[in-house]
Amino acid sequence: MSGRGSGRGGGRGGGRGGGRGSWTSFPVWAWLLFFVFIPLGLVAWYSFGDKPGLFSPVSNEHLSLGRYGEALTGTFLHTFWNTLEIAGVGTALCLLIGVPFAYWMAVRTSPKVRGLLVALVLVPYWTSFLVRTIGWQIVLAPNGFLSHVLQQLQLIDGPLSVLYTRGAVQLGVVYNYLPLMILPLYVAFERTDPAQREAARDLGAGRWRTFFSVTLPDALPGLAAGCLLVFIPLMGDYITPSVLGGARGNMVGQMVAQQFESAQNWALGAAMAFVLMGFIIATVVVVGLVFLAVRGLVRYRRRIDLDAVEPDVSALDGAGPEGVAA
Amino acid sequence: MSAAGVVGTAVRRRRDPVGVAFWLLGLAVFAFLFAPIVVIVIYSFNDGRLLGSWHGFGFDAYRNAVHNATIRDAVRISLLSGVLAAVLATALGTVGGVVLARVRSRWALGLTALLAITLVTPEIIDAISILPWFVTLGTDGHVPLLNNGLVRLVVVHTSVALATVTFMVRARMAGMDAAIEEAAADLYATPWNRFRQVTLPMAKPSILAGALMAFTLSLDNTVVSSFVALPGSTSWPVYLFGTLRTGPRPEVAAVSTLMLLLTLGALALVAVVLRRGGERDLASALAG
Repeated sequence: MSGRGSGRGGGRGGGRGGGRGSWTSFPVWAWLLFFVFIPLGLVAWYSFGDKPGLFSPVSNEHLSLGRYGEALTGTFLHTFWNTLEIAGVGTALCLLIGVPFAYWMAVRTSPKVRGLLVALVLVPYWTSFLVRTIGWQIVLAPNGFLSHVLQQLQLIDGPLSVLYTRGAVQLGVVYNYLPLMILPLYVAFERTDPAQREAARDLGAGRWRTFFSVTLPDALPGLAAGCLLVFIPLMGDYITPSVLGGARGNMVGQMVAQQFESAQNWALGAAMAFVLMGFIIATVVVVGLVFLAVRGLVRYRRRIDLDAVEPDVSALDGAGPEGVAA
Repeated sequence: MSAAGVVGTAVRRRRDPVGVAFWLLGLAVFAFLFAPIVVIVIYSFNDGRLLGSWHGFGFDAYRNAVHNATIRDAVRISLLSGVLAAVLATALGTVGGVVLARVRSRWALGLTALLAITLVTPEIIDAISILPWFVTLGTDGHVPLLNNGLVRLVVVHTSVALATVTFMVRARMAGMDAAIEEAAADLYATPWNRFRQVTLPMAKPSILAGALMAFTLSLDNTVVSSFVALPGSTSWPVYLFGTLRTGPRPEVAAVSTLMLLLTLGALALVAVVLRRGGERDLASALAG
């Protein structure tokens, strides 16, 4: 379990300690392997097969990479780019709203209110994802109240025509994943040192300069975490496009599901799923590397701070937006 | 909302235009975050036949929901699978979290990696992978248990919540001094007693918070559930998702409102438990 290596175990326990403790986690291993990774392996196996006939979803008699080729040429690729655009724009919008909002929560409000504000952000996050999305369906409906109000105000000519378009999906994903951007950013901003900001102000830096060269670099881990927490589930989202997108707001998650449900082509669906999965894991790795690079750059620039203050601070101004791009 | 009062005093106190702009932004974002929830609650009092078109104010939706046997069954299945999945995920997650916080080995690193992969796997991929496996085991593998819809729901909900619970317990135990457990070992406590009397009380806030998190994750799970669900074991979100094809009726908003209150109660409970456990920062405790 824990703490072997010391006291009673003495020198003898050191070697066995790790092995014995790990043994305790056997049930977790067993669960994960049996109910998550063997099924994933099975689908990976399917992805090398094909669909032999009308009534059979998959056959692995002839192994090939053909399904991957099929996935990477057809409509899947088109939908994949669509999804990537929605996810990229969605992450950027969440960042645009989340950074000033989390900064306000963590820095500009009094500590007494903060707990309440965090709870208020958590409430929508804890409310059913599906129910919230249906809420937007009601709001955006052509015969809904928003449509009536906008028509009364003569802001639009006909009924509101947003629902079942890509715009509705875009709005829905920004809404659904915004708390996942706010929370890590809030934690990161809250941990920054107010004394450093004051020092920057005392040294003559304005609001923007203080933010971009002192506060934001300190919050980089939160920024990277927020972007990943939004981008990753967004790429595989199934509910938002199903509820708000209709036929015109298609995303890859739905295509994968279609292959397993209506089309009954498990081999192709499996290949699509693994293209998506590979892309997501690659994204995690790339964002991790970019984060390390940006952090290294910031640290490198700061190191010279001691020798030459002026050129350096302006260089840091440049490093800020780079972090945003990550 | 009590935030409105806070805003008033703050604006009066500071005339700084940037401060005012921040408060306006804050209010706008909160309005955005709560908009669809408020809409659902309001439309649960819609007396019309279809959810989306407002007819008049009334409590018909609640009355109809209570008298609808299908809805009652769906809610019952959801609550049952939620409790069972929470128990399972918490038991496994506690063991996993304690091990990950205390043991540094290649196995622990491997377990962390596997859990991290389950966290980044899109739900739709979980769904399409577990269904063929259930079918294989249930029909060809002769494990009739997996032909039971409720068992299937509990299994997939446990898998979905396992990583979250594990990482919450690990975060808590990482902040606790391992020397306390070592002292218990030095005083000849058996491993089991040490776990029960020393480790568990230390991990308790995260275990309770993790259990409630697992319960709400289960209550909300739609995608995987709709893939593995069998006739007769439709959970509430699966039923709700299904009604979207035919056009949902106000009853679903009524039940959603009740479920929302249930979830809020759970969240309040977590907050109280965390505060009592000396955890001040709710966000970092829940975000892991």
